[in-house]
Amino acid sequence: MTSLRIFRAAAGAALALVALAGPTWAQDRIFVRTEPGTPVVAVQVLVGVGSADEPEGQAGISYLAARAVTDPARGVLDSLGAHLDVDPQKDGVGFTLTAAPDAWAEATRVLMVALFRDPVDSAATVRQRSAIVRELGARESSPADALEREREKAVYGADHPWGRPAVGTPAAVGRIRVSQVDAFLRGQFTPERTVVAVVGPVSEDEVREVLAPHMPPGELRGDSVPPPAPAESAVHADYNSITTWVSATWRFGPDADVEALRMLAHLALDRVSFGPSRRSVYNSRAEVVQYAGGGEVRLTVVIPPREAEQWAGQLRQAVGDYADQALSPGVFNDRLRRYRGERLLELDLPEARAAQMARSALLGDRTATLVDFTRLTPQRLQDAAKGLEPPIVVFLGPGGDQGA
Amino acid sequence: MMLTAALALALAAAPDTSHARPPDAAQDAPAVTVHRQPALPTVALRLSIQADDPPGYAGAGHLFQHLLLPTLEDQVARVGGRVQAIRGSDAIVYTVVGPASELDYLAGILRSTLRAPATPAPGMLAALGALSGERAAERETAPQYVRAALRARLFPADLPAAGTDEAAARLASAPLDEVWSEIYRPDRVSIVAVGDVQLDAVRRAFRSLPPPASRGPAFLPEDTVPSFEADTPQATRGWIGSAWAATDADPAALSVTARLLRSYLRRRMTRSSVDVEHWWTHHGQALALVVATPDSLVPAARRTVDGALTTLAGNVDADAVRDAAASVRRDLLFLSRSPERMAELIGEFADRGAGGDGVQQFYAELGEVTEDDVRRVLESLGAADPAKVYVPPQRIPAAQRR
Repeated sequence: MTSLRIFRAAAGAALALVALAGPTWAQDRIFVRTEPGTPVVAVQVLVGVGSADEPEGQAGISYLAARAVTDPARGVLDSLGAHLDVDPQKDGVGFTLTAAPDAWAEATRVLMVALFRDPVDSAATVRQRSAIVRELGARESSPADALEREREKAVYGADHPWGRPAVGTPAAVGRIRVSQVDAFLRGQFTPERTVVAVVGPVSEDEVREVLAPHMPPGELRGDSVPPPAPAESAVHADYNSITTWVSATWRFGPDADVEALRMLAHLALDRVSFGPSRRSVYNSRAEVVQYAGGGEVRLTVVIPPREAEQWAGQLRQAVGDYADQALSPGVFNDRLRRYRGERLLELDLPEARAAQMARSALLGDRTATLVDFTRLTPQRLQDAAKGLEPPIVVFLGPGGDQGA
Repeated sequence: MMLTAALALALAAAPDTSHARPPDAAQDAPAVTVHRQPALPTVALRLSIQADDPPGYAGAGHLFQHLLLPTLEDQVARVGGRVQAIRGSDAIVYTVVGPASELDYLAGILRSTLRAPATPAPGMLAALGALSGERAAERETAPQYVRAALRARLFPADLPAAGTDEAAARLASAPLDEVWSEIYRPDRVSIVAVGDVQLDAVRRAFRSLPPPASRGPAFLPEDTVPSFEADTPQATRGWIGSAWAATDADPAALSVTARLLRSYLRRRMTRSSVDVEHWWTHHGQALALVVATPDSLVPAARRTVDGALTTLAGNVDADAVRDAAASVRRDLLFLSRSPERMAELIGEFADRGAGGDGVQQFYAELGEVTEDDVRRVLESLGAADPAKVYVPPQRIPAAQRR
């Protein structure tokens, strides 16, 4: 009886959330979630431009352009007490603006003018190019970054635009000229490729009044991405470290049940994280990323080198077991109770909600849904696990395949 | 436009905040403040026990937190929530956050923190070890050391949260229920809830608190805090600390003054890192200035810090005060943008005795601070001698540099 009651409570909570999260489809690609009581306004401007749009030899220009074009605006934003973050993604660049209710409108205007109207500032571009080259250089010695590079190559293929880092490499970024950034901005950073999500104590009318001059109506425009060419067997990458990193990536298609896959990733992570029976796990991570046309479930562990092959098996099993057999209702409800809390807390900052809404909208979700665990069932979970493609496994560590 | 006008100052707008000690409640019912934030079906619950550690047992409150935290984390994880434990100068604080539908479950976890711990407590060695590490950290590195030393000068009764070595030795063998009885009483407990919950539901969830124990330790010795002068914290730059006691100052004006001073000094000291902080606990208020500067600039930096209040007084105008007040208000809003941070902010004010709407009043008062208010603060600060701390940069002897 207890678990049934909990399940009903979960469903009730989720329904309320979905109801709150349902802005109507906006022809002007603007999505608003009015939240009385939230103390700040979060604005997510997501420009659907990524690696696939970058010209040959200019890998990383999307991120450089994003940093360069916002650099001159930062002083004004600081004076307004607004916080701006730039987040490079494979298929887009996210600009997250968080500001007080009395400053958000002005801060948003400043950001939109910088993005779509201001000419590129050559000094800012040179400054940001140097900064990115330094940052990427420092990251080259990070095993987490090295794993990510190997993983992307394995999942999409070395020649695929998504098979390389979205931020580029130090060498490639260092070669990009100011004129190329200017041309890229004019050609690619356009309102037609952009969605904006606004969350906070603001009305829809107010948001549209601020954004309308910058966001002419029309359907979202985007380009297609070539099909991936994933590695056909496990990839072993040599890396000078005292630990081994093992990553398994399951791709999924456009019709996948993404909320069920998120729950699956949470459950799988529980089974490979440090614990009394898994004392050799130094770190573990799970994530679900979604792009137009599909996405990936990723599971990563950091373990001693000699245990690499064993852990690759455990990663496969951590997901595969949920495809083999549906959970019993009692166990499922217990797991759902936990997942529901973790998922809600992932969205506890207004900027996280704005980012989630913008991503959903970019992927064509006309209601920009935040979460959808209303009707999660054991069967949905199993079906989602069954629908995954076979995993692509990457080992990174001393000797590459030493642990195998 | 009306919506923004009405909601722009979410902290200042009282309608969504309710706080009450119910008239029909027993005297030992906790004070409850609820700030409704229906944006997500979550709730942050903050329980605080407003108490100093008993004499001779400095660090006791934080020790109990270390003893309880592993269990609390396991319990909260079952509903996908988070828990944190903070020992502040005003209170022992536990905060849990999770789905609003789990309100009763989360409240039960918090109520469990009020029960007297058993002796011997499981995990005692690990908890004492953690406290010992925190004590050492406070004196090892310059940023923490400067603040701790300034605080010790201005507020000697405000003992370190991690306690002292002597007190830790006593706690290792003390009957913990007796020590707890000196800390916990139901009327010292305050509850703040932020999220998609109603006042009545929160009151029900906390209607029954454990009774206080009847007997405390037979003898309460005095605490002895080791002097900071004997420590040699690590520093690669020169660290200069100055702090002025300001117990009678208007808190809003003091906060605005701190912001003005920070902005002014950051413009002048571009090669140094400058922090100006408003300290505010039930022990009193202070304005603390902490500067880290390269070795070659230390003499100039010390002169700038020494004359900081005077030079600021000559540069204050109404526009600067208005901008500084707006900046502090925006920071408050930004800080409180998640339910648990909002609960922490509301609770901190309540623990200082400002009541459940203290933060809202403070937010409103910030908007009314004038140039004259700031000048009055600067005059009162300047009239007293500041506490000063200096940590020189460590130099590698020339013979060892190769």
